Amino acid sequence: MNKALNTILLPLMIFSFHSFLNAQTSNETVWFNGLARSYFSRDVLGNTTDTLYPRNSSNGYNLVDLNIHANPIKTIEIFAQLRVRNQFGSFFGSGTNIDVRQLRASGTIKNKFNFSVGDIFLKQNRFTLYNYNEELSSFENDMFKPYRDIIHYENFYIDNRWRLQGLQTDFSLQFDRFIRTLEFDFFITRPRGSTQLGSNTYSPDLILSGGSIVSKITKKLSFEVNYINLFEIPSSGNMNISINNPVYHSGLNYKYNKNNFKISHKLQTGFSERNWLFSELDNGSDSTGFTTRGMFFEFENEFLVKDSSFRLVLGARYVDPNFRSAGSQTRRIDFNTEIQNTVYPFHTNDYIPRPSSAFDLLSDENRFNQDLSGTLMSFNPIYSNVLPYGDATPNRTGFYLSASMNKNQILFSNIKTAYFNEVIGQGTTEKRNFLLLAGDLKININEILKKPKEFSLSFSFWNELTSRDGDVVEELNLNSSHINGFINLEFSKNFYFQLGLKQINASGKEFITQRNEYGVIQNFSLVNYDQSDFIYFTGINYKIKKNIYANIQYNWWGEDLNNPNNPTFNDFNYRRLLFIFSVKL
Amino acid sequence: MRTIKHIIPFFVILFFFNGCTKDDVEGPSITDLYGTFSITDAFLLVNKTPDFSSGDIVKFNCGFNKTIDWKITITGLQSNSIKEISGFSNLIDSNIVTWTGNTSQLPFFEIENCVVELTFLNESDTLRDTLNIIGSNTYQDGILVADFENGLPLDALVSWTPNIGFRTFDISNDDPLLGNSYFKMGGKVNWDWPIGKLDLKLNLSSITVPAEEFYINIGILSDSIDIHTGQFINIMISESTLPFNDDLTPNQAGHQLADIFDATDEVYKMKIPVDWHGWRILSFPYSDFEELSPGASGVIFNKNPKNISGIRIACQACPSAGANVNCPENLDKLVRTDIDHIIFTENSALLGN
Repeated sequence: MNKALNTILLPLMIFSFHSFLNAQTSNETVWFNGLARSYFSRDVLGNTTDTLYPRNSSNGYNLVDLNIHANPIKTIEIFAQLRVRNQFGSFFGSGTNIDVRQLRASGTIKNKFNFSVGDIFLKQNRFTLYNYNEELSSFENDMFKPYRDIIHYENFYIDNRWRLQGLQTDFSLQFDRFIRTLEFDFFITRPRGSTQLGSNTYSPDLILSGGSIVSKITKKLSFEVNYINLFEIPSSGNMNISINNPVYHSGLNYKYNKNNFKISHKLQTGFSERNWLFSELDNGSDSTGFTTRGMFFEFENEFLVKDSSFRLVLGARYVDPNFRSAGSQTRRIDFNTEIQNTVYPFHTNDYIPRPSSAFDLLSDENRFNQDLSGTLMSFNPIYSNVLPYGDATPNRTGFYLSASMNKNQILFSNIKTAYFNEVIGQGTTEKRNFLLLAGDLKININEILKKPKEFSLSFSFWNELTSRDGDVVEELNLNSSHINGFINLEFSKNFYFQLGLKQINASGKEFITQRNEYGVIQNFSLVNYDQSDFIYFTGINYKIKKNIYANIQYNWWGEDLNNPNNPTFNDFNYRRLLFIFSVKL
Repeated sequence: MRTIKHIIPFFVILFFFNGCTKDDVEGPSITDLYGTFSITDAFLLVNKTPDFSSGDIVKFNCGFNKTIDWKITITGLQSNSIKEISGFSNLIDSNIVTWTGNTSQLPFFEIENCVVELTFLNESDTLRDTLNIIGSNTYQDGILVADFENGLPLDALVSWTPNIGFRTFDISNDDPLLGNSYFKMGGKVNWDWPIGKLDLKLNLSSITVPAEEFYINIGILSDSIDIHTGQFINIMISESTLPFNDDLTPNQAGHQLADIFDATDEVYKMKIPVDWHGWRILSFPYSDFEELSPGASGVIFNKNPKNISGIRIACQACPSAGANVNCPENLDKLVRTDIDHIIFTENSALLGN
């Protein structure tokens, strides 16, 4: 490993020194930042009746992501991220990988047009292009920050943006009459290139393009339109089947101040179309099939106290059952059963695939998705059933309310509630009703006691209730509650003792929707839930600086399936010792 | 008051959304997938004493709480004939599900009592009833070509291979499919393919349906006791505009042959291996027939039922001796491909409904 590092770092240092010397004589600059991480985990089997698997196993790596920023002129930046990763236990340099993780050129032309080429991170709004947070990650109060940081960093989840490769440009105009500003943003990317699927089968290129125009009409009133289209180019493959999914959006935002409040009202609506083009058919003509068209509508009001101590959001939303937006409905976690867990993928002596539990969704970076999907991905209703595809979840109509409060840095609280109905029933004319009740509370005890060292308690509760009336077959009732508890005690300067738990309890009956490759519902699988997922942890966090920490923790995790015939049948539990040393350069 | 001004639009929009709910269903019915099966409307037979010879039909009616695979089985207590009607629905509609007295499995129904059973896939429920046939179906609903009740049709030409050792190209009465007579067609020719043939003259100029909807139905009798395993019937249908039998020159056996089945004419063929025991009614859409000589010069192959001018039903078998020995195991074995009730039907096969 040292050899490999020397091989990489020495030329880089020489290059940077050379660049530094050059930068003294011209305006060229080269600068570096990045991230370094050491990771070690040791997993232990908790269920002693499983005799087919190793009692414990360890895994770990060191990695350095070196970000090189080269500015040949002041307005242009060339960015490259190089990764050197060494897996623990590999023989000298054989287990060391060196990858180019990101490449991008960006800059400004004539001080007016901004552009980026290469790896770009894109977001529009919640109905066209938006990377919604994964389930179970809300209201955690940084309880599992070491895990979440790794998952988000490794999967390029930054500010709810999708990482794509292509070209993006934006510019703005200012006016002195009629309207104040006009801002433009356009992009075109290729989420997937043509790939060979079989000996003579090639998938076509998948393209995502779009644009936004935002105008500040007056000081209070602004208007925006967005367009996005995910489509395949049939001629770039030979499958003769290609998707086309344009989404149109417009919004009107009215903001003003009143007394001690900042108030905004936002009205947004749009529609989508999705179809598949079947080209070069036997009769020589093209045809489109599986066409769906749907609209959405949202009216949202925000009331924010000027000192940000209180915020209230109240809104109503309608999303048509046929509204399809690949950019906003693609999920971070795909519950496709073909995806195996990384840690102990099988269990019991019958060697059956282990179902994903809350811990896998927290820690297994391989379970996460970076590719946009033209069809709705599968989800698990016990983790997320009210809005599994975020605010863009189709077939929902209802209202929502959220509030956050900050009392003198002593008490932080959030409340989130929503009530939605299905627009049309699935498999029956009866419609599901969804109720979300969630809240969290964090108390900084050290602020109460006027002590300098941090000491906080936090607790959160997230409850999703799903019900449907009807006869004995149609009716359903699923209750899923997620509980988080976390104690963070700074027992010595920068040393924190941490204790936490996460528990998901789910009981009731629900039907899992099964769709074909064109998103058409084919079947409903009846599932009766009565299970608990749990993660308990304790550890010490050494926060050396803001971006440098070392964390060691011990986890107990598993799943109780509460099988009525055999209470421990297919239950599983494991333990993990985890060490992370993270440095953000 | 001003607060109310902000709240009112919110409730207006809520009201609007509430009106957006749709009375429709996405996906397959959950009741069909998981519901417990039950009968909602009793199993009813309309007309329990049908006279099918005068055009009577029997109607069936029943309702279920879920869409399911169902099957009605009618069994003749005397003939053992069986008729099956099946479907996938939550309703057996008497306007749609009817029986005209035909059969799914020969022999035909006679004047007899029948048992009717309604069964369901993966369900143990069986509903039963009975009916009494007072007049059986005569299967005349089509263009009858030959039923051999009064001998051979007018202009029919029968021929067989010269010097044939044994032959049965005659009207017979011992085991008819329908009525009292049928045409025995068999014999023994070890050294050649053809045994014999029956040529029939046709005029179908009134037919308007296309080839896909025009069916030929033919009853064929054979047995499986020491029979020739390479026997088959070759059906040829001609759309030739030549006269049916203008050339009166006989063949070597002294028989007249129709002049419209030559390789230079617009002729279509179908080969039917005959390897079963007893009677069977076979039905084929005309569109399934192949061109006899696809490369025939000057012939435009364009199937049109109304242009059919004749049909040839030939009895053939694989040679077991002579210059081309293809089936030596069949040496001296008899060929039997007896026929009865040749009828054309439009839109569906004879036993299709």
